[in-house]
Amino acid sequence: MRPIVLLGLAALAFSTSVFANQKVVVYNWSQYIPDGLVAQFEKETGIDVEYSTYESNESMYAKLKLMKSSGYDVVVPSAYFVSKMRKEGMLHPVDKTLIPNLKNLDTNLLNKPYDPNNQYSIPYLWGSTGIAVNGEEIDPKSITSWSDLWNQKFAGDVLLTDDVREVFQIALAIKGYSGNTRNEKEIKEAYELLKTLMPNVQAFNSDAPRMPYLAGDTNIGMIWNGEAWMAKEETKHLHYIYPKEGAIFWVDSFVIPKNASNVKAAHAFINFMLKATSAKKCMEHTGYATPNLAGRALLSNKVKNSPIINPSKEDIERGEFQDDVGDVIQIYQKYWNMLKTGAK
Amino acid sequence: MKVKGFFAVIAIAIVGSWLGLFIAVPNVLVLITSFLENDPQGFFHLQFSTAAYHQVFDPLFWRVFLHSFEMSFKAMIICLTIAFPFSYWLCQFSSKVRGWLLFLTIVPFWTNSLVRAYAIKFILGKKGLVNSTLLFIGVIDKPLKLLYSEFAVIFGLVYVLLPFMILPLYASLEKLDKNLLSAARDLGANGLQRMWYIVIPLSMPGILAGCLAVFLPAMGMFYISDLLGGAKNLLLGNLIKTEFLSTQNWPYGAAMSISLIVLMAGMLFIYYKAAQHVQKRGEFDV
Amino acid sequence: MFKLGKSLFFGAVFLYLYLPIIVLTANSFNTSKYGIKWRGFSWKWYERLFDNDALLTAAWHSIIVAACAATFACVIGTLAAIALYRYKFRGKSLMTGSLFVMLVAPDIVIAIAFLSLFLLLGISLGFWSLLIAHITFCLPFVVVTVFARLRDMDPNLLAAAKDLGASDGLMIRKVLLPLLSPAIISGWLLAFTLSLDDVIVSTFVTGPSFEILPLKVFSLVKVGVSPEVNALSVLILLGSLTFVILSQMILKKGKR
Repeated sequence: MRPIVLLGLAALAFSTSVFANQKVVVYNWSQYIPDGLVAQFEKETGIDVEYSTYESNESMYAKLKLMKSSGYDVVVPSAYFVSKMRKEGMLHPVDKTLIPNLKNLDTNLLNKPYDPNNQYSIPYLWGSTGIAVNGEEIDPKSITSWSDLWNQKFAGDVLLTDDVREVFQIALAIKGYSGNTRNEKEIKEAYELLKTLMPNVQAFNSDAPRMPYLAGDTNIGMIWNGEAWMAKEETKHLHYIYPKEGAIFWVDSFVIPKNASNVKAAHAFINFMLKATSAKKCMEHTGYATPNLAGRALLSNKVKNSPIINPSKEDIERGEFQDDVGDVIQIYQKYWNMLKTGAK
Repeated sequence: MKVKGFFAVIAIAIVGSWLGLFIAVPNVLVLITSFLENDPQGFFHLQFSTAAYHQVFDPLFWRVFLHSFEMSFKAMIICLTIAFPFSYWLCQFSSKVRGWLLFLTIVPFWTNSLVRAYAIKFILGKKGLVNSTLLFIGVIDKPLKLLYSEFAVIFGLVYVLLPFMILPLYASLEKLDKNLLSAARDLGANGLQRMWYIVIPLSMPGILAGCLAVFLPAMGMFYISDLLGGAKNLLLGNLIKTEFLSTQNWPYGAAMSISLIVLMAGMLFIYYKAAQHVQKRGEFDV
Repeated sequence: MFKLGKSLFFGAVFLYLYLPIIVLTANSFNTSKYGIKWRGFSWKWYERLFDNDALLTAAWHSIIVAACAATFACVIGTLAAIALYRYKFRGKSLMTGSLFVMLVAPDIVIAIAFLSLFLLLGISLGFWSLLIAHITFCLPFVVVTVFARLRDMDPNLLAAAKDLGASDGLMIRKVLLPLLSPAIISGWLLAFTLSLDDVIVSTFVTGPSFEILPLKVFSLVKVGVSPEVNALSVLILLGSLTFVILSQMILKKGKR
């Protein structure tokens, strides 16, 4: 017994000495890491964590850009921001030899167009945006596609997310276009279609997407799958539907800003988060899927088999992952403003 | 009075350098930005351009400006209607009670306004406090649509900004000379007349201060419009925020902000001149 | 009759002010995580809160910054109001103008302008940058409040003091400050409130080493505000009430 303890202590002493007095500054979405996991990392490695949160990719990007990609060591942008930041030279290449736990990841989710060969980013969690239905008021079986939101029955009831890209992606998907299109003609067509949806729209929600459903303000609309999962705690009547035109998929990844001061510690942090046990905890906590196969293996069947968290192969194929659209975002935004203010 | 004396020099030096460094310089940066070329890769190009101001003349800007002007104005009027009698009566309490009441008024505002905005959602929602109460006592038989409306935005603005009306008014009404009022009463002026001829004119600076402190910030409070208005009743602040964060068109965002400042300053100036004119004509010797 | 109307009015206003507070206090004791339905009484959110060091530290930071910012803003703001009221000097209209700009400019513009300035000046992001920014955006509110009181003050008072041979400094200490105190207190309260609540400017001007409460709350928006935050709000409310009651008692003792 004793020697093992001693060995453990020695290992601890060793690991602390490697990173003695080091710190890592993490900039992440709120509630995106379960309580206690950060403390566990500090204990295991001796690295201090300064943990800071943001509420949108956009404000994170603006701050990082102004600070010349310094001041933070690990950031967790969505894929289309990874793509943008990579192209603008804001990211530090990831040294894969420092992240042995990379082997745990599902190769199906690696090497995507937003970051070929994962030179700059390591996927953390991924999820989808689909349709939420309150089963007490609406038969969930009757809802199968995005275009059901246009049904006149739902006048003034539909809830959309307050996200220009996601909302346009619905209309583009119905029209059969790519949700990442840079073609103004297609965007305009999507806008014309969305205009006819406006009488049904109750609100563009910037609250947590599950809240208006739980509060009974609305019965149908868009939701993120992790939110639908969390809502299960409160009600069993909220159903999550993958629409037949395809749900919207997104990935959030770890990146290291170009001028980060603690690059080594940043790698250690990412490696820690890629441990099977960490990944399992993250998935249970957030309700979003982890690309970590080793972590998934540890999950209870309830989580592992939930269709909300784990879309079927067909659903994934039908859906589309979000990507950067470059300066075309200004065209999206123009139509978005017109949509919201009811301009002709 | 000319600047003389140690105190005056020190005061002006401190205030001047603070305002110069921390207000003038950053705002000159904003002004410069508004005349640069838009570049989605890095916010802006160092190249002179007036394109952003051409964009400001887009009807969209004006529609949002007018709508948010209207909502902020309504919020200001409601704040004034609540705050004026409130502060006036507050001043009539003994100074001890007054302190307590003033404190009780401000304390709710030390709770984060986002947290309070959430609480308002509970109150105004379809199954919220107001609707369930009204349904229960049978005033209505279908829930009212209160949340995600212009009403909800104004409700939220009033709720967040009320102290900004109450406090300046209180500061100004507190020193109102009670003898003036009793003299007026002795001379036979009724309550309404005393109010109109004495209290209101004498507290005009406070009223103006309160209106400024409520109306001007209201135009920019985007999270109220986001959370309570369902992002459909945009304030100008929403528009400017998206230009700075989502589309990264900083020159346009800066130009909108500058235009907002110029427009408001212009209106205030016209109001000021008009008020001066009226005051001159209606002046009476006391 | 009139008395009754007055009490009713005060009651209604306080109900309006406190209704959201009552709702969130109730929710802080609600077993249900999202407070949609009442699921029974529980202390668990308070227990969680006391385990949540990050949230408590952030709250403490917020209170410190707000108190410092309000105090400095009052000093500078009162000086500014007096200078604008009493003296003619070059750049006076520039001074009024810049205060006005600060009042109108939307938060996000101020935030980005400040961040650019701090980066230009090489001020690192943390307590000091936050404090400077907060003092600055609180300033116009203090000036407006104090100036309003100055403007409807009897100018003869100052003239009398002057005739009696008081220096500017003495006159300000003995005549102006006592007269202005309600306005300065109002200004302080406004500034404190404003600073305690600011999200947008703070997002940009503080660094990870100095997190404050509104940022924590704001970043929770996308996932739903947790009941711990409600619990914390209730504690802050109780804390400020106790603080004032205690200070009143101490003041009374001192007077005796």
